[in-house]
Amino acid sequence: MKRLTLVLLLVMVMVCSVLATGLAASKVLRMYTAFDTEEAKYYIEVFEKETGIDVEWVRMSSGEVAARMEAESANPQASVWHAGSNTDHINAAKKGLLEPYKPNIDFELPESFHAKDWAWTGFYTGAIGFVSNINFLKEHKVEAPTSWSQLLNPAFKKNVAIAYPYTSGTSYTTYATLIQMIGLEKTLNWWEELDKQSIFQYTKSGTGCIPMVGLGEIAVGIAFSHDILAKGINEGYPVVMTFPSEGTGYEVGGLSLIKGGPEPELGKQFIDWCFTKQAQDLFQKYSRLPINPKATVAEGAVTLDQVKLIEYDAIWAGEHKDELVTAWRDRIGQ
Amino acid sequence: MNSSNRKIQEITGNLRLIWKEPLLFISILAIFYCLIVFVVFPIFQVFKTSLFIDKQLNFSNYSAIFSKRYYYQPFFNSMLLGIYTATLGTIIGFIFAYALTRTPMPFKNFFRVTATFPIISPPFVVALSAILLFGRAGSLNPFLTKIIGDYTIYGLGGLILVETIAYAPTAFLVLYGILQAIDPSLEEASMDLGASRAKVFSTITLPLSTPGIASAWLLVFIQSLADFGNPMVISGNYRVLSVQAYLQITGMYDLSRGSTLAILLFIPTIVAFFLQKYWVSRKSYVTVTGKPTGATIKQLEWYIKLPVYSCCIIFTAIVFLFYGTIVHGSFQTLWGVNPALTLKHYVEMYQVGKDYLIDSLVLSAVATPIAGIIGIFISFLVIRKKFIGRGVMEFISMLTFAVPGTVVGIGYILAFNQKTVLLPFIMTGTAWIIIILLVFRNMPVGIRAGIAALQQIDPSIEEASTDLGADSNTTFRRITLPMIAPAFFSGLAYNFVKAMTCISAIIFVVSGKWNLITVAILGFVDNSRYAQAAAMSNLLIIIVLIALGIIQLIVNRIGRGVRTVDIIG
Repeated sequence: MKRLTLVLLLVMVMVCSVLATGLAASKVLRMYTAFDTEEAKYYIEVFEKETGIDVEWVRMSSGEVAARMEAESANPQASVWHAGSNTDHINAAKKGLLEPYKPNIDFELPESFHAKDWAWTGFYTGAIGFVSNINFLKEHKVEAPTSWSQLLNPAFKKNVAIAYPYTSGTSYTTYATLIQMIGLEKTLNWWEELDKQSIFQYTKSGTGCIPMVGLGEIAVGIAFSHDILAKGINEGYPVVMTFPSEGTGYEVGGLSLIKGGPEPELGKQFIDWCFTKQAQDLFQKYSRLPINPKATVAEGAVTLDQVKLIEYDAIWAGEHKDELVTAWRDRIGQ
Repeated sequence: MNSSNRKIQEITGNLRLIWKEPLLFISILAIFYCLIVFVVFPIFQVFKTSLFIDKQLNFSNYSAIFSKRYYYQPFFNSMLLGIYTATLGTIIGFIFAYALTRTPMPFKNFFRVTATFPIISPPFVVALSAILLFGRAGSLNPFLTKIIGDYTIYGLGGLILVETIAYAPTAFLVLYGILQAIDPSLEEASMDLGASRAKVFSTITLPLSTPGIASAWLLVFIQSLADFGNPMVISGNYRVLSVQAYLQITGMYDLSRGSTLAILLFIPTIVAFFLQKYWVSRKSYVTVTGKPTGATIKQLEWYIKLPVYSCCIIFTAIVFLFYGTIVHGSFQTLWGVNPALTLKHYVEMYQVGKDYLIDSLVLSAVATPIAGIIGIFISFLVIRKKFIGRGVMEFISMLTFAVPGTVVGIGYILAFNQKTVLLPFIMTGTAWIIIILLVFRNMPVGIRAGIAALQQIDPSIEEASTDLGADSNTTFRRITLPMIAPAFFSGLAYNFVKAMTCISAIIFVVSGKWNLITVAILGFVDNSRYAQAAAMSNLLIIIVLIALGIIQLIVNRIGRGVRTVDIIG
């Protein structure tokens, strides 16, 4: 009997301690981040250390953040949406979920890197590139692809991977880039060919193909340059990064203030901090391209002026996502 | 006249119960409330979301699913995979059970432990190992390519392989129980009367174990349909429902179509569950002779021993190969590129993975006793008390066991991301949603254990206590509980294992603040960081083994006449 009471008591204590940790925080910055947990933790811990502000954060994919914000719009639970492709921020801004805020920055930001009304602001960027396995290239005596059409090279038969455009921002940006370059019909024709000839498999996340290339499971992957650098080259995989000569699209990572969120002043403080040189320098670890011109660019990172970029219209891409993805699935059948 | 009188008596009896034992009545109400809010409501939400768009009844989700190949193909893929896995798993399970109950095979304990080992490991570890072994960069790949040419482990073949390894143990446990219950003297009698081995097997052993075989098949089929971890890792372009529903929701944030896919997964599973529970399990041909069975196992001919033994040895070797690969892989510097041995992943895991591990441990440690207590209490109510809705209570509480994790997970985010009349606060993003999910998902095992234990205890012992003036509360605490304590702890052990290793439902409700080690491992796999994933899986398996050991010690200390509780199905 005594033992049982003890067990019950123990349960009570544990329940209470969980409850307590949930209720304790009083004045904290609450935010949603779309970075991987490990990476988000790296930035947020520096912010907490520098400012003494406690941050309570939840990591979700951008799609989940958007839906969560919509569900909570009557009573927002967080004040900052940290990271995630700007495509999704644009979508949320259209639904009126974001509070325009012009960050306090001391440098010029190109127009394509922020909303007209500053509902969202880009705070890092990176271009789409190809990642190829060096050993495969040597063995099969082919060059790393430097154009979209070279992905159809028979040498890469069933040896290319990319994520599903409907699960990954990377892949959707690739898809939207191609549509903006050559139109929907031609893109789908090309992709159908790619699917039949070259695609080994689709991955769920945009970065999934990089280590696959590194391991030699496949020859070529399509991903963002910062991810190729951080998760491929810097990990020690025998891979090389190239870019398509016809032009490529790029990602702008968005940062925004959620409308009606708690403690908006802390949120603004965090957003401002994200653009400081110290904060932008942190991107070196994950090879993202900083927006602040004074920040140090990671070694080996390819800056946007080194590759041929198209005039990528992220707003158009964000607004037409549903129908474009459906068109893709109808055609490719995946 | 008579029957209506009895009805009136029953109702007044119920009313008297309220008057006499208000505490009991309140607990019954509380349990019903919990079951409705945390079991029925989420499933109802999934149905509702699939049928209503903008609050209008709308079948467009269903018409889309039946007209577009990329939606209905996964359904057939899942079914096909389930059929293959269930058939292979049942065959292997049967051979193992036969070998352990009907042959003089040496090292029986060793074989039994290895055969059940996959049950306690996280589900996707087998898939991870398959990639390490058979992937294009896998250690056995160069060798295999020479023999069978080009192949790929990503897809149906790979899935059948890993799911068979992961779920054959379930079939084994069911069939082991059944074959043990069939008196071997029947077979002996038949032999003595001159029947050949083949005849005995085909006319006695097989027919008697048919319900068990059907039961095992259906259970493995359910597990395969509901499996999320393995397909997530190794399905390649072979799309199955559980993963598609997940991707539809987390990738496109299309809750309504994701829910529709979940319903598509729900229906065959629930049909299989009903068949198993209400049809097959009723047809049990367990033979009762009243005499202790001689269990004299005769020497078998070599042509029976050889295939049976070699099947057992091969399967055991495969289990060793797969788990050994995980251990080996966890020490490689950069898996597939730099095979130099290192401890760095364990160090790194300590830095990065510590939080996940602590979260997993804390949440499981909170959820396990709650699930155990509620489970034992429900089994007590169902077996010992008479009240309106008793059958309903048993049915609902077993439901979470049958519903695929993906459906439950989707149901939880739908049901608890808003305030409702039933639950006036938001639970998503908190630890509570995870704890509650773990509690209600794993509770059925505790209930089964409790029911089994209670049925063995004569109610007159409890009646004696009541007659001596104790109320039901005291009787439950002082008499019933101590007697079912061993069942309670066995239930706890299983609950803890399931809580630590679950993935399919939990992946929908984790948040940055509360994360779980299984989700972290899946994240590592997704980034092909196989060595780290392997290191974490190892740690998880070790922790689960330690916990099982501790619980076993407790059971041994308090156990009086304990029988091991059948934890499956």
